Amino acid sequence: MSITQYNGSAIVAMTGKNCVVIGCDKRLGQQALTVDMNFEKVFRVKDKLYVGLPGLATDVQTLHDRIRYRVNMYDLEEERAIQPDNLAHMISNMLYQKRFGPYFCEPIIAGLTEKDEPYIMGMDLIGCLSSAPDFIVGGTASDNLYGMCEALWEPDLGPDDLFRSASQALLNAVDRDAMSGWGAVVHVITPEKTETYHLQGRQD
Amino acid sequence: MNDFKQQFLGDTLTKTLFSETEASATTNGLGSTGSGFETTAHKFALAPLQKPVEFAKTHIDNTSETQARIQAAHGTTTLAFKFQHGVIVCTDSRATMGNVIASQTVKKVIEINEFLLGTMAGGAADCSFWERELGRQCKLYALRNKKRITVAGASKILRNMVLNYKGMGLSMGTMICGWDEDTTDPALFYVDSDGQRLENHLFSVGSGSTFAYSVLDAGYHYNMEVEEAKELARRAIYHATYRDAFSGGYVRMYHIKQDGWVAFDLQDVGELDIHYYPERKGVPDNQVQEEIIRPAGVSV
Amino acid sequence: MVPTEHHGDQWEPYVDNGGSTLAIAGEDFVVIGSDTRSSDGYNINTRYDPKAFKFTNNTVLATTGYRADCKSMAKSVQAQITKYAHDHGKEMSVEAMAQMLSIMMYQKRFFSYYVFPIVAGIDKEGKGAVYSYDPVGNMERVGFRAFGSSSALLQPFIDDQLGFKNRADIKPEERELHLPDLQQAKNIITDVFNGAAERDIYTGDGLQLFTITKEGGIELEELPLKRD
Repeated sequence: MSITQYNGSAIVAMTGKNCVVIGCDKRLGQQALTVDMNFEKVFRVKDKLYVGLPGLATDVQTLHDRIRYRVNMYDLEEERAIQPDNLAHMISNMLYQKRFGPYFCEPIIAGLTEKDEPYIMGMDLIGCLSSAPDFIVGGTASDNLYGMCEALWEPDLGPDDLFRSASQALLNAVDRDAMSGWGAVVHVITPEKTETYHLQGRQD
Repeated sequence: MNDFKQQFLGDTLTKTLFSETEASATTNGLGSTGSGFETTAHKFALAPLQKPVEFAKTHIDNTSETQARIQAAHGTTTLAFKFQHGVIVCTDSRATMGNVIASQTVKKVIEINEFLLGTMAGGAADCSFWERELGRQCKLYALRNKKRITVAGASKILRNMVLNYKGMGLSMGTMICGWDEDTTDPALFYVDSDGQRLENHLFSVGSGSTFAYSVLDAGYHYNMEVEEAKELARRAIYHATYRDAFSGGYVRMYHIKQDGWVAFDLQDVGELDIHYYPERKGVPDNQVQEEIIRPAGVSV
Repeated sequence: MVPTEHHGDQWEPYVDNGGSTLAIAGEDFVVIGSDTRSSDGYNINTRYDPKAFKFTNNTVLATTGYRADCKSMAKSVQAQITKYAHDHGKEMSVEAMAQMLSIMMYQKRFFSYYVFPIVAGIDKEGKGAVYSYDPVGNMERVGFRAFGSSSALLQPFIDDQLGFKNRADIKPEERELHLPDLQQAKNIITDVFNGAAERDIYTGDGLQLFTITKEGGIELEELPLKRD
């Protein structure tokens, strides 16, 4: 078993028309044993900028702390709000600094740019960025999520439809993966506001 | 059986294995009293190697513990207990291959005959094949002796059958449950692929068994009424599916009475969770309780 | 795909040749789709190597996994089916064929076929039947099943669309009302195979779509899939 599968996770980010969604499952396990059913893996960075951290839970926490520190320093030094692409390169750089002893985590960034255009970005555990026009998935249920998103994603969905596609993708993907699940959280990011929804999922 | 052993003659490893079980292998375990049991020669194909057993063990994985090429489907939380009105047999229904949930609708209770049930934990194919074979043996016994085989007898046949393959990678943990003719008490035996056979009033087998045991031990007493017993079994399986990633799906329940078993409707663990904890569990009370929603589907 | 595992110098007789199969049972029909690509690692061995075959006028067996084992197993099954027809003067039912395949696979418990078979047919009551197996012969009758290199991509989606899982808009007791008819089932299979060919490098080239109905017997359609 790979160390990235030790705790279990599932994260999906999708783009829509002037909106993005990012969601994650809530399980934290130690292999088969489920330890926490309320462990969220998507974190708010700014009002319209979120980062999802699928992978080894200890590195998820450390990375989240370090990202928060770096973003706060950016705010103080630059006196302007960090943009999604800035954040992506910042995290990429942080990961590559640990090139030979990496964090076992493959971050996914989702947010709206200054012009309120949707932005999603994925990367591998040493910071190689990969962009996509449609969706980015990660975690132990990533194969399942690819299949769901490939079927459910359409261009230019509004926030309601996008939320529905993303939540169906997430819930059905984790139901075929033993290592993730136990409910889900989805953040719908629009120019006006960001709404957070907790989804009822199977607890097995 | 001898035919099967012939295939091993070049293999020193299995030679030693088989010499120890010679007696049970040739008489199928019921002693040499001429009980009429024929030896069942299953001709299993083997890899054309010096050590075919090693090949089987390294290439076929029943447990999700190794990264062997062939991941056999395997089962997970099963339980059975005796009480004043018979035996309750209860299982989950998930099968996993690696971390992938292969099925949520596995039938882990095997109906050997109208009075005997077997459960499935470990390798799904190992359990269903050998318990089907056990059903055939029990039917033959009934035809020859004009009476049903006892649960003790049936479980011993199963044990002796799988003992012939000890050390070859079979994976089976089963409970043989039933109610003998002309007795006032039900019977419950645990049999596994190591050749262990135990009798007791309560067993749970599989990766979720530790969780099921803790619920069972907290609530078990012999003088339960049927509804209480069913609810205890259901809760035990539910809590096992909650904590164990490799258990889940549906709760399947059987009640063995003196005149045979009855099966009950399946219960979806996903719905059972809402029934037991409608307020949503997992969120501590001191946290702000966000609204939980169930999203509508997408039509394509 | 199962990652290649090294067992020292041990003999490795198994290769995963990829490809996917998907079967859907309806009230009075079964549809079973399979792609025609056969690969070895990053190489495509052939773009046309069908995975599904007609066995009786009523049954189709589709198998992914190691092609050599698939073909060897299919040949043994076919021999038994022919023998059964001669011995009993009737065709084998899908139920009998399903149980026979389970036992035949278990006979190779210690030198297993590396295969993931699906048996599809019309049962004695005239209903669509799909049986799925693990490589050592554990059998289960299901309503729909995806197997092969794209199974992780396909199965959650058909759970959603055909099993109505996590669908608050459709109550469990109303699921039967929304089950697909033949044309809808065919559309789902063609759609998801196009999606799978997009993401999975081991699935593509061509789609074979078998339709089994009680009246019409077995029909085969061949459709193109992505070839890159």
